[in-house]
Amino acid sequence: MTTRPSLAAVVSCLVAAAILAVLPFLISGYHQGLLTQVAVFFIAILGLDVLTGYSGQISIGHGAFMAVGGYTTAVMSYYHHTNLIVTMLMAFGICLAFGFVVGLPALRLSGVYLALATFALAVSMPQIPLKFSRFLGGSNGLQAQTVSHLWLYGVAWAAAAILFVGAWLILRGRTGRAFRAIRDSEVAATSSGVELPIYKTLAFGISAAYAGVAGSLFVLATNGYASPNEFTVALSLQILIGAAVAGLGSLWGVLVGAVFVGLLPEVSSSVPVVGSTHGQDVVFGLFVIVVILLLPTGFAGLLARLRVRLTRQSMASINSDPGTS
Amino acid sequence: MSAVQTREHPALRRDRLAALGPLGKPVNLILVGAAVFLLIGCLSSQIFAQQTVVGLAQGAVYGSLALALVLIYRATEVVNFAQGEMAMFTTYVAYQLTTSWHVTYWLAFALTLLIAFVFGMGVQLVFIRPVQHTSVIAVVIVTVGLFILIDGVVGWVWGADIKFMPAPFGNTVYHVGGVAIARQDIGTILVTIASVGLLWLLFQRTKLGLGMRAAALRPASARLVGVRVDRMLALGWGLAAVLGAVAGLMAEASEYSLQPSFMQPILLYAFAAAVLGGLESPVGALVGGVMIGIFLNLLGQYVSFVTSEIRLPFAFLVLIVVLLIKPTGLFGKKKVRKV
Amino acid sequence: MGIKRRIAGALVVLAVAGIAVSAAAGAHRTDPGITANSITIGGTFPLTGVAAAYKTIPLAEQAYYAYVNAHGGVNGRDIDFKVLDDAYNPAQTVPLTQQLVEQSKVFAVVGSLGTAPGLSTWTYLNQKQVPQVFLATGDSYWGACEKKSCAGSTHPYTIGWQPDYPAEGRMYGKYIAQNMPNAKVGIIYQNDAFGKNYIAGLVQGLGAKKSLITDEEGFNATDTTVTQQILALKAKGCDTLFIVATPSQAIASLVTATKIGWSPTTFLSNVSNNPFFVHIAGANGANLDGVISSVYTANQTTQATLPGMVLGRQIISGYAGALLPQWDAGDGNLVYGLGVAWTFVQALQQAGKNPTRASFLAAVHNLNTSKNPFLYPGISLKTSATDGFPIEQLQLVKWSGGATGNWQAVGSVQNVGH
Repeated sequence: MTTRPSLAAVVSCLVAAAILAVLPFLISGYHQGLLTQVAVFFIAILGLDVLTGYSGQISIGHGAFMAVGGYTTAVMSYYHHTNLIVTMLMAFGICLAFGFVVGLPALRLSGVYLALATFALAVSMPQIPLKFSRFLGGSNGLQAQTVSHLWLYGVAWAAAAILFVGAWLILRGRTGRAFRAIRDSEVAATSSGVELPIYKTLAFGISAAYAGVAGSLFVLATNGYASPNEFTVALSLQILIGAAVAGLGSLWGVLVGAVFVGLLPEVSSSVPVVGSTHGQDVVFGLFVIVVILLLPTGFAGLLARLRVRLTRQSMASINSDPGTS
Repeated sequence: MSAVQTREHPALRRDRLAALGPLGKPVNLILVGAAVFLLIGCLSSQIFAQQTVVGLAQGAVYGSLALALVLIYRATEVVNFAQGEMAMFTTYVAYQLTTSWHVTYWLAFALTLLIAFVFGMGVQLVFIRPVQHTSVIAVVIVTVGLFILIDGVVGWVWGADIKFMPAPFGNTVYHVGGVAIARQDIGTILVTIASVGLLWLLFQRTKLGLGMRAAALRPASARLVGVRVDRMLALGWGLAAVLGAVAGLMAEASEYSLQPSFMQPILLYAFAAAVLGGLESPVGALVGGVMIGIFLNLLGQYVSFVTSEIRLPFAFLVLIVVLLIKPTGLFGKKKVRKV
Repeated sequence: MGIKRRIAGALVVLAVAGIAVSAAAGAHRTDPGITANSITIGGTFPLTGVAAAYKTIPLAEQAYYAYVNAHGGVNGRDIDFKVLDDAYNPAQTVPLTQQLVEQSKVFAVVGSLGTAPGLSTWTYLNQKQVPQVFLATGDSYWGACEKKSCAGSTHPYTIGWQPDYPAEGRMYGKYIAQNMPNAKVGIIYQNDAFGKNYIAGLVQGLGAKKSLITDEEGFNATDTTVTQQILALKAKGCDTLFIVATPSQAIASLVTATKIGWSPTTFLSNVSNNPFFVHIAGANGANLDGVISSVYTANQTTQATLPGMVLGRQIISGYAGALLPQWDAGDGNLVYGLGVAWTFVQALQQAGKNPTRASFLAAVHNLNTSKNPFLYPGISLKTSATDGFPIEQLQLVKWSGGATGNWQAVGSVQNVGH
């Protein structure tokens, strides 16, 4: 049994795609760059959502996967002048494998332990280029080819669209059901025949591969410059916050989360009182807490609830209609 | 503890352990081994002894913060990612008291602990309680949000540049057999021991402590016998914040300067320490902290591959290895999870 | 009819006026960021985060520009200096620099801080042909055009300001080789390009005596304790300590050395010799007397009567009053900021009545003045088409006066050029 997309979903997808396709020709290169950031976070949050929202495994270390993907692009472009699109595919493949490897120990960990282990990964990863500085450029980083705003905008959103459809295809079928069964109860999932090790590592692999592509684009959006400072824990936390704002387990909320994380720094820097990194942190922190406290299902949940309420109201008005007239 | 099940039959296990005598438990073997190793090392090499002494003081700081993490984990099964930043915040409160309002150091110290206590309880009441019963993921995200929020607020109020506070223990250095021991380090160790001791007395010797332990271990039963579980959990957060404040103040004193990011590496070492000791074990957290403190220094001294870049990853390697081999750490007990 | 005719007449007048205005504007093509009465520039700085200790640099620069504007600006143009906070993270430097160039339309990026942030943006800025001048970092990249003509180098729009790290390291190396031929040198360094640059310079300066380097201990930029490394250096028998660190670790190194009962001859890199921070080390018990370092900016405490320092204090108190205590506490970053801003204004004046990016860059590569009042007396700014290092002189200094002391000159200003 696979679910079919509702007509409304298909239409809204197409509308979104059309807007994104036309938009770059109406805005400046600088704003294209900003929207590219949104695409980067969209892909990364989508990846985290597959893992955390659908298979119930938390990760505070997705910045580490982004680092692997980003450095893949930087290394291949710097040393071998590989076509950038090809480096993205490589980032996808390498991070898929890396995600599987990380997923193996994660099999034995759950809840806070997994949070700690992935956090450890996020903290450790930026040290690796420093340790192997001769190859990975150390603190001075590596410079990949540079690309124009428009090129990157197009590639980033095309990648986002492909990965979005990919995620939807994966999640609507057997794999998605297995993920959700694991999230709801591992024991119950096992007893109904879900092979935990396969699906749990698979979720990690897919999720990491998404983050890898995001990392690759992230480096290109940083003028093709990869350095350890870009991939600190803060990046992992940003992705987690984006996912929380999006509402875990909802593909649609991801866009809201990505817009929030990708654009808040830009928006807040022009607001007088909070117009500093500190103010931004305050907004980020407060916002995520408020979302979790008041909208535990994120914006996606909010939309769903509104829809339910609207439906109920219209039902109610239909039901009460005959009486009043 | 009839609900506790181990793979090995309990009777068999008892027999096997009895054969090993008083050192029976593997934990004790490891600890005694480590102690003997350190003793021999210290007696045979001056630099070894010096690194050990310094590591001990650093480890005391890691240990107190790890203990704070454990207190909260035991009570609510949550790892507080904001623990380090909460400690950083209270250290800035102490900075404000001493430097701007000219309160003497030790009075400011006491006031800071008091403020930390109220702050910790407040955090639990306002931010944690509403999500406590939803999911681990939600609580973790809230503590991550707190992490960022506190960072922002401190940066806003005090700025992110370097500050400094008066030195609490003076600048005296003692020399024992060629090993320099700073009064600062002795002070750090003593303050840690004192705060942990007081905490132990509170938990073991007072009715309040009994209530808190009951609320943490058997909330349902505790509620039945009239323990106000919610209040106990808030108290636990308050006490954890106090321990964190001690760690923050001691860390500031041994780093000589204060920046908003100063607790972040310490939190990471404290994570490793808490996991090494077993997230459920207060003793384990302290021992884990001290071991991390000492052995990271020794590794840096003697193992050339462990250069500064991978000091932190190395601590985490310890964390991951422990999680994989023995997820309950050195001192933890196995637990059965319900479906 | 009367009204119609009047409207038509007004329209004609307007049209003529419009053509006149546009003709006047088109008389010379102007570059972005510059109008008849203003010039917009910008820079990225770590106002927050690990390197926030340097945030007083852009504040001092803003104060200097405000002072210049209050005195008529440069050729009637007010300088509008946009400061953005990148928290020392290149991933933020890039979009913020794009914001400066593409949104704020700055004429030039002036004084941006940090090596990695600089490297992350220099390709972009050179592609966009935006001058990236007087970068606040001592890496040698920025002046690397020296071998060939700068205009022909890969990054002709980029130039640094201060002496580069290897040059400073070389000076200490030479000093040790000459004056301490039996020293056993131990180095504690930040384990990245910044630290390694200094070591490379030191090795060069030591020349045949490079075997004097007994031990090198790195530390991680995010680690706040350096005790283990200091202990290791002492244990190796070093009697000379070279500290290559940013301020907080430099403070920790100085204090820790004293606390473990070690009193080596200490060299402190310029990066962390700001008296403001050295005093913190002193207050924590560090033994400071005899520590050797080098400077290229004047010192507002020991040289308070220099005209530049008198002026500097006036500017800070008049245009950034909140920073006055910081000035009086001896924060060298303020002097640094004033010195950079002075250099920018100087170059802008040299660039002609109606500067373009090209004429400005030409001026930047044609500096030759010893009038910068914020530099150490005797140190001059000098560049040419083949010389991309504005400052290539250093004054060796030694600390005296203990915890409340300051730097005192040793010998005279030295050339450390390439």
